[in-house]
Amino acid sequence: MSRGGSRLVEVSDLGGGYAPGAEALSDTSFAVEAGMILAVLGPNGGGKTTLFRALLGELPIRRGHVEVRGRPAYVPQTERARLDFPVSAVEVVLMGAYGRTAWYRRVARADRGAANAALERVGLADRAGVRFGQLSGGQRQRVLIARALMQDAAVLLLDEPLSGVDTASAERIETLLSDLRGQGRAVLVATHDVDQARRWDRVLCLSGRQVAFGPPAETLTTSVLRATYGAELVELDDGRYGVRVDHHSHGT
Amino acid sequence: MQRALVEVLLLSVTAGVLGSWIVLRRLAFYTHAIGTAAFPGLVLAVPWGIPAQAAALGTALGFAGALDRLTRSGRAATDSATGLLLVGFFAVGVVLASDVFEAGAGVDRLLFGSLLGVSELDLWLTAAAAVGALALNAALWRPLLTAGFDPSAARALGVPATTADWLLLVAIACAAVVALEAVGALLVIGVLVMPAATVRLVARSVPELQIATAALAALQGVAGLWLAATLNVGPGPTISVLGGAVFAAAALFLAGRRRLAR
Repeated sequence: MSRGGSRLVEVSDLGGGYAPGAEALSDTSFAVEAGMILAVLGPNGGGKTTLFRALLGELPIRRGHVEVRGRPAYVPQTERARLDFPVSAVEVVLMGAYGRTAWYRRVARADRGAANAALERVGLADRAGVRFGQLSGGQRQRVLIARALMQDAAVLLLDEPLSGVDTASAERIETLLSDLRGQGRAVLVATHDVDQARRWDRVLCLSGRQVAFGPPAETLTTSVLRATYGAELVELDDGRYGVRVDHHSHGT
Repeated sequence: MQRALVEVLLLSVTAGVLGSWIVLRRLAFYTHAIGTAAFPGLVLAVPWGIPAQAAALGTALGFAGALDRLTRSGRAATDSATGLLLVGFFAVGVVLASDVFEAGAGVDRLLFGSLLGVSELDLWLTAAAAVGALALNAALWRPLLTAGFDPSAARALGVPATTADWLLLVAIACAAVVALEAVGALLVIGVLVMPAATVRLVARSVPELQIATAALAALQGVAGLWLAATLNVGPGPTISVLGGAVFAAAALFLAGRRRLAR
């Protein structure tokens, strides 16, 4: 699949929010082209998930405009899913086919095959029948990514997919992100990990509004990180900077 | 007795299908509230000369609409709003029954039902509710599953989660209303929720939960009827007590087994 060249996401002067009179996110303008990974950096409450809600068409937009090619696939943080729900990994992945299946039809056999293939792609083919809540945090994240793969979307939104996952899962997810970039998709990843963001194509820094956007080498400066994270930015012993997020730090 | 038996078996189908969603979607309090909120409608039905089920359904849907307005406005959390409206609707029913229409003699029947006194019309309505629940389950399986498991991603997955949620709430209101005649406003939860809550302790999938819940509800219903006839007590309360006892026994058994496995 190749979608190279074109802009798949375009946001200009976006402002919006849920509460009347208050904007959760403002002054945000950027574009993401096919075959590009965009890191969305910012503190908790800085507007990363709000931006994704805007791209999904779920945020009341008061200013500016948002254009997205097709319906994006969304990978939420795993704790938003109900771990006590009696669904297996493959059932969760099949949910990615629900949007294209008419209510009166059964899920197509091809989609069932695709669900198993998606699980195999994230390295969980042998866990297909296991209940979602019984999987490890990293495995659950990979199942949700497999569900997004099922949607076959040009644009993928991943909300902190690497937070709290084991090393094996993190490596697998990073490889998948590279594969998706190679296929010409646009991948937007909300993250707190600045080191990781340096390896991707573009960085968008948010703190209730857009602080900076551009290539990592030009964007991830000390002043930008200070403006983005404020007091959460801490200087480490070796002179580098870290971001204090939920009792752990990420090096910069 | 024959009609009572048919009634509990028909209610078992609804309990299997809707009861499972009620438990999975954490709507037990809503189910209890909507059954109790129908009370003023039942009181008004007799003096106004309208069918009890229609009056109860009207009140229950009024309750659901008021709850939706209150929670959407952000003025109260869902559980607080449910509690407030439950008390309000029930209090209006008590005032109407005791002071306005002086319907005290029939209040027990309204609150606790009369399984042995169900009419042919009640049976047809319960059958219609069971068929409606099965149809809803078949048509909205995917949105209900998706919105229940991962509400934050349901819209992004392209399923009509909001419509499905609304239809589920209306279906629960209808099921609670048809169960009123059999088990009364206060014991609706004993039929619609208890069996599913018990099976939920061990079920590994939603279809398994629904089928086993229907079977357990039927078993408890038939056993409750037999016990009530043997002990000469009310069948509605007996079925509810039995449901509570089975839940407690299952929970204790599973807790003991887990402790032994450690």
